Amino acid sequence: MKTFILIAVLMLALLSAVFANDRYTEAMQKSIQAIYQAQTIPDYQTAVNTFERIAAMEKAEWEPVYYASYGYIMMAIREQDKGAKDAYLDQAMKGIARAQVLAPGESEITALEGFAYMIRVSVDPGSRGQQYAPVAMKTLSKAVAMNAENPRALSLLGQMQYGTAEFFGSATTEACATLGKALAKFESFATDNPLAPRWGKAVAESAKAKCR
Amino acid sequence: MKTVFTSALLLVTLITFGQTRITGRVTGVNGEGIPLANVILENTYDGTSADAAGNFQFTTTETGEQQLVVKIIGYREFRRAVTLNGEPLTISVQLAEMINELEAVTISAGAFTASDESRRTVFKALDIATTAGATADIAGALNTLPGTQKVGESGRLFVRGGDDSEARTFIDGMVVLDAYSPSAPNTPSRGRFLPFMFKGTSFSTGGYSAEYGQALSSVLALDSKDQAENTRTDIGILSVGGDVAHTQAWNGGSAAGKLQYTNLRPYVGLISQRIDWKSAPASIEGVAAFRQKVGRDAMVKFYGNMNNADFSLYQPSIDNTGTKYYYRQQNDYRYMNGAYKDILNDQWLVRGGISYTSVQNTLMFDDRHVLEAEKGVHGKAVLEGSLSDKVELKAGAEVIQRNYSWDADSAGYGRNQGFDEVMAAGFAEADVYASNRFVTRAGVRMEYTSLTGQFSADPRISLAYKAGAHGQVSLAYGRFRQTANNQYVRVNPNLDPEKADHYILNYQMMVSNRTLRVETYYKRYTSLVKYVDGDASQLNNAGSGYAKGVELFWRDNKSLRGVDYWVSYSYLDTKRDYLSFPYKAMPSFASKHNVSIVGKYFLQVIKCQLGATYSYTTGRPYDDPNSDVFNGGKTRAYADLSLNLAYLPRPNVIVYFSCTNLTGRNNIFGYEYGTERNADGLYNSRPIRQAAPRFAFIGIFITLSKDKSVNQLPSL
Repeated sequence: MKTFILIAVLMLALLSAVFANDRYTEAMQKSIQAIYQAQTIPDYQTAVNTFERIAAMEKAEWEPVYYASYGYIMMAIREQDKGAKDAYLDQAMKGIARAQVLAPGESEITALEGFAYMIRVSVDPGSRGQQYAPVAMKTLSKAVAMNAENPRALSLLGQMQYGTAEFFGSATTEACATLGKALAKFESFATDNPLAPRWGKAVAESAKAKCR
Repeated sequence: MKTVFTSALLLVTLITFGQTRITGRVTGVNGEGIPLANVILENTYDGTSADAAGNFQFTTTETGEQQLVVKIIGYREFRRAVTLNGEPLTISVQLAEMINELEAVTISAGAFTASDESRRTVFKALDIATTAGATADIAGALNTLPGTQKVGESGRLFVRGGDDSEARTFIDGMVVLDAYSPSAPNTPSRGRFLPFMFKGTSFSTGGYSAEYGQALSSVLALDSKDQAENTRTDIGILSVGGDVAHTQAWNGGSAAGKLQYTNLRPYVGLISQRIDWKSAPASIEGVAAFRQKVGRDAMVKFYGNMNNADFSLYQPSIDNTGTKYYYRQQNDYRYMNGAYKDILNDQWLVRGGISYTSVQNTLMFDDRHVLEAEKGVHGKAVLEGSLSDKVELKAGAEVIQRNYSWDADSAGYGRNQGFDEVMAAGFAEADVYASNRFVTRAGVRMEYTSLTGQFSADPRISLAYKAGAHGQVSLAYGRFRQTANNQYVRVNPNLDPEKADHYILNYQMMVSNRTLRVETYYKRYTSLVKYVDGDASQLNNAGSGYAKGVELFWRDNKSLRGVDYWVSYSYLDTKRDYLSFPYKAMPSFASKHNVSIVGKYFLQVIKCQLGATYSYTTGRPYDDPNSDVFNGGKTRAYADLSLNLAYLPRPNVIVYFSCTNLTGRNNIFGYEYGTERNADGLYNSRPIRQAAPRFAFIGIFITLSKDKSVNQLPSL
């Protein structure tokens, strides 16, 4: 009996220690699942709120700010009002800047920055295209250079290249090659970070489907 | 076993008692629920999001004194200390709206702002480059906006009954002393600065900020681009010359240089002109720009422009057919502008700069020579920031030092006339937001000029009120002064500055890509330069005048797919008694009704952008010495239909074509009269007309860069 109690106490102690360590991971994993399942702006805002609460506690981690920014970009995409779109993107850019300080050299954050510029262009392509499209292109190329295995960087770059080629009516060969590479990297993507981003495959597939 | 059970039970009880349930509702000041706010128990993992009605609830195991924080975009953060002891808490959270530039009302009276970044602009930077008939000239494009009067033989900006000298140009806050390239008498001149250099254009037709002085009618404030993102080389092959430019970009900075050669000689040889050119205009221009980021938030900009132009022509005499006079102009122009901007922190920024302009004109009328030269230095420093989210402040000081000289080699034309002026000014302005709906801007500008040795203080006040979700009303009053034109000050250096008071009422409505603006104004001129008893060598400040009018602007890029168009209409009633005027009369540059219709269409299939502009202006007064009434004559109406076409065969190649006055209408701008009576006792007249009915231009622009999608479209 004594042994049993001892084991039980020991296990409880161990469990609570693990629980404390993994409280961050667990909270994050739950929220990441929520943000991937989000459909509407309120869904995203709720998920973003959770990430912001975690970010306020875990000031050394880049992932909470990253996902909050991702959420704001998704809200900007769904929002109709141009002014509100820009307000969401401003929030996203603030978070991205903070994440970059926490994890310099992280390709995922740079890819997200490129994504934000892409959406900036989409708010008013006529007058912003000339200014932001090259910036988006440059940022996404940088993300690919930082990690050639990052499928999201490749996919977004491919989408930009596709849009540009389509606008000028030129060949989409290069864009389709990039998208093909992106899809291959989605398959082979491996990381030991349980919180690493995993979004973007479906969009890459539908973008690739336009290539014939 | 019993002990284990007891302790487990105790633990469960403890947990239940250790939990505090917090509920509440997030509302605005009027009690309306604010959805989805983030409710945070600071420095813990606990918290929740409010629901769509603003209600929230969560439980926490934390105990003791804690901070409850509630935040959401657009509102100020809410914070309250709470004591957690297991007792359920209900907290009503009232959030105060944050004044932010996105939602807040803006002062729109008199102002047309063009920017790619700002969301609430009526006019985009790109619009200037793509307006047909403007041939990438800033003034040409702005002349399609309400408040401007088309003066076809000048090409400059004439705003609300003011002449061209009353509209001043500033680059990055620094004054430009001579903003237009020289042109032959009665032919339109072009602005010296190409629109593609600028990321923002703010064109004000009245009631502008206390930051701007020495402008009676209008301020054109151009905001130059930050560092270039790409290294590139641009080549332009034009029907009137060519240019080559190179931009080198590095991390945090860029440098660019451009060399341009323009020669109208082959063109005027090909298309018959009403001007008897001896040597049509030719010019060489060099432009250099440098940008460097300093530290995290500071930026240094330098811009320099050198231009040398030369032309000569014969002007036939009105009185003696067969006699003609020789006229030649050589113009040597230099402009340099250095600007610095540093964001100190979230609230404050400083900016400043120095600009230098040197203009030298060598004129020849027959065998008489005139050498005219002006040099000026402008230095300025401004501090801008916010005291709170409700009060924004701007204050600064500037000095403009100028030297002007005029030297003719024959008597009666002024020998060694000239003057020096030092103008020192200080200004302060505050924007006070009562709410997101109501803003008041109050400012004052103090000036000292060495010409008269006098100090002055001019008030500027504007109000704006957002009446509904999309509409807003704006009111502005201001007093403005400007040193009289060089040609008058050189005759009498003791002249007072000319003055104008502006009163403006504006209504603006913007609903998803449709804009409607209605503006009415009254402008009173005082201290205008006047000839004493009609003698041009005796000048005083006894002149006065007024201008009043109503203007409409409608822009729509939604109703017709792929089509963006705008319509402007200006009604102007103006009279003045100045210079040689015997009494109050409408000046010859003014016209009662001005209409512009501008349309743009991008045809994806053939990769073409098509643009068309139609302008219509009712007749302008002219003085017929054969009549007793001063400025009693009236020209026939002016009309022009212009077209442009940009074709993009490849991402880095653009073929551009434009033509003005497609219908070839014979527009008459006014009449010139002889100086002597003819055999019938009348003065001979001659109409002032366009040099040629149409002006056609074709250019091919090629961009070479690593990034193949970069092209010169924004510079066209």
